[in-house]
Amino acid sequence: MTMTKIATRADGQGQPRARRPLSDEALITSMVACAAVVLFVLAALLVPNFYQPLNVLNLVTNNWPVISLGIGVTFLLVSGNFDLSVGGIVALSGVLAVWFAQSAEGGNALSTGWGMPTWLAMGCALVGALAIGALNALFVVRLRIPSIIVTLGTMMLARGIAQVITQGSQRNTNLPADFGFLGNLSVIGNSVKFPVVVMAVLLLVAIFIERRTVFGRLTFWTGANPVAARLSGIDRARHVTLLYLLSAGVAGIVGILLASEFKSGFSNRGLLMEFDALVIALLGGVAIAGGFGSVIGMFFGAIILAIVTSAATGLVLSPDWQFILKALAVFLAIVAQSWALARRNK
Amino acid sequence: MTDLSNHTRSSRHLGARVSDFLRNYYIYFVLVAVVAVLSVANLDQFALFERGNFLNKRNIINILRVSAPLLMLAGAFTLLMVSGYIDLSVGSTMSLSAVIYALLAINGVPFLACFVLTVIAGMGLGAVNGFLVVRLKITPVIATLITLSLFKGIALLLVQDGVSAIKSIGELRMPGWFNDYGRDAVLLGLPMAFWVAVGVTLALIFAQNRTLLGKYAAATGGNPVAARLSGINTNRVVFGLYMLVGAAAALAGIARSSFMSLGDPLSGDGMELSAILVVLIGGTAFSGGEGRVLRSFVGALIIMALTVGMLTLVPAYYQTLVIGAALLAAAASNHLISRKEGMA
Repeated sequence: MTMTKIATRADGQGQPRARRPLSDEALITSMVACAAVVLFVLAALLVPNFYQPLNVLNLVTNNWPVISLGIGVTFLLVSGNFDLSVGGIVALSGVLAVWFAQSAEGGNALSTGWGMPTWLAMGCALVGALAIGALNALFVVRLRIPSIIVTLGTMMLARGIAQVITQGSQRNTNLPADFGFLGNLSVIGNSVKFPVVVMAVLLLVAIFIERRTVFGRLTFWTGANPVAARLSGIDRARHVTLLYLLSAGVAGIVGILLASEFKSGFSNRGLLMEFDALVIALLGGVAIAGGFGSVIGMFFGAIILAIVTSAATGLVLSPDWQFILKALAVFLAIVAQSWALARRNK
Repeated sequence: MTDLSNHTRSSRHLGARVSDFLRNYYIYFVLVAVVAVLSVANLDQFALFERGNFLNKRNIINILRVSAPLLMLAGAFTLLMVSGYIDLSVGSTMSLSAVIYALLAINGVPFLACFVLTVIAGMGLGAVNGFLVVRLKITPVIATLITLSLFKGIALLLVQDGVSAIKSIGELRMPGWFNDYGRDAVLLGLPMAFWVAVGVTLALIFAQNRTLLGKYAAATGGNPVAARLSGINTNRVVFGLYMLVGAAAALAGIARSSFMSLGDPLSGDGMELSAILVVLIGGTAFSGGEGRVLRSFVGALIIMALTVGMLTLVPAYYQTLVIGAALLAAAASNHLISRKEGMA
């Protein structure tokens, strides 16, 4: 229990406190969930055609890529590190999967690939994604370069490789017939496709890891107080390396599934997704300083963002408004969180 | 004073002196190397100094003209990084300034007034960053990501629907003087914008070496607690530096806008990456406390020479890859050089 107490302190310097019915994290997560519900009701009342069962379902299903990416980003933020490379990895893994799968004799450079069977092509693309994750870990853990700078670099590196392979556009010809299978497989009705199921499974696994395993607790420890974590014998290097591989692996899966869904490898796919993944994590109450946050909170953060952007579209605001709305949402989330925690822990 | 420093220098380990030398001068070697490679790369097609070669006069003038925005940003960004802070919103500040400048100009405001008003607006945008970071204590990366999104959104909204950039509004046209600032040769074939960038850099070199601002910035970045305890108002220093970066970004926006004759709300996209890259190439420590305005200026020249010169060698779609690799390489070499220093 004391473990949880220490881990949940955002500032990491609190005195022992009396047992409370609700941890700080649970409080923030429920605040985020309440905000999501309130916004939903407001949107349903004010925005024409907003409250329709299909539309409500789409709030989740349309956003499966960003929610999945949010898992790795959330774990890394909790451990005190950024990952801005996920959008680039989405582009890279999708392009690689397509390139590997394209048949070896095509008419021109963009329609000629490696001729691998689909499963092998996707497996190799995933290895490519993990390589970027390993590069992140190498620079952050071994060279101790700030993660924001490293992952900005690997973001461009990954997207740059994708652009070179696709010569700045996309590859979508000469693909095996089964390449589009996974991304378009309908599981329940037309709206819940296989990638949405993958997202749900990843979410459940992530919540289990976060709440019920030593690995999850160690993530909070390293983020809340790196020095104490090191002194108590936690192998921070190994832990952060695993987290970067995890995040890159999830991003690789997302990229491959998107490539399969569209039957193309497009070098601009996933543009700004790293930004959105960061935004939903922050909206969900993950603290940038590390040691605080939850995957469930991130999920509700994604719902908030989806409601806000879809309501803005419903109100016929120009799409340019989305940048301002995101900025205001993150700002309010951060101010509300620090206000609530400061009040509570006075 | 001189004796003391001579003494310490001579008693220092040879390795430390080598790494000192490397740190102070390697950037000039990199510049020379980049220029050398680019000027011999196409020698089978073009003669040295002739039209088509990298060292052709026209080409050099062209590179320096398009470099003006980045050169203006480099110095102020360095001082902010030296104080241990970062501004990811510079690209959006630049875009918004470009739009404001074009809007003012198209509505008949004279050049000087446009210029001054836009710079003041840039300082205001910088002050927003300063407020979020210093008053509300939001982590710099997040605070400036918020304003990155906010300023970009405002810039996009200022440009009316269905148009990608401000060029003409109804009957209104851009005034004839609009692109003089960014294109018209005033000295050595280079436009006003370039010379303003040089002037800004000289002023900031002076500020860093000869005024309290430079010392306070280094102290704030080197050891914030010690700086505060020795009576430096670090909050005010940081706030002022954010305003300075805002003003520099506005100058960059004006230069870009004038060069392209457009108020483009996306013209500054990716500028934050270029600025970080330039500052890292210049050897500024990302943890703060260390960095030189002049070296960042040279770093900006290197990046512009590389990006423009590369277009003659490889297709444009190699650009992202090369910039990403350069960013990682600069970060790694920075780390290696500073570690040598620490060990010696």
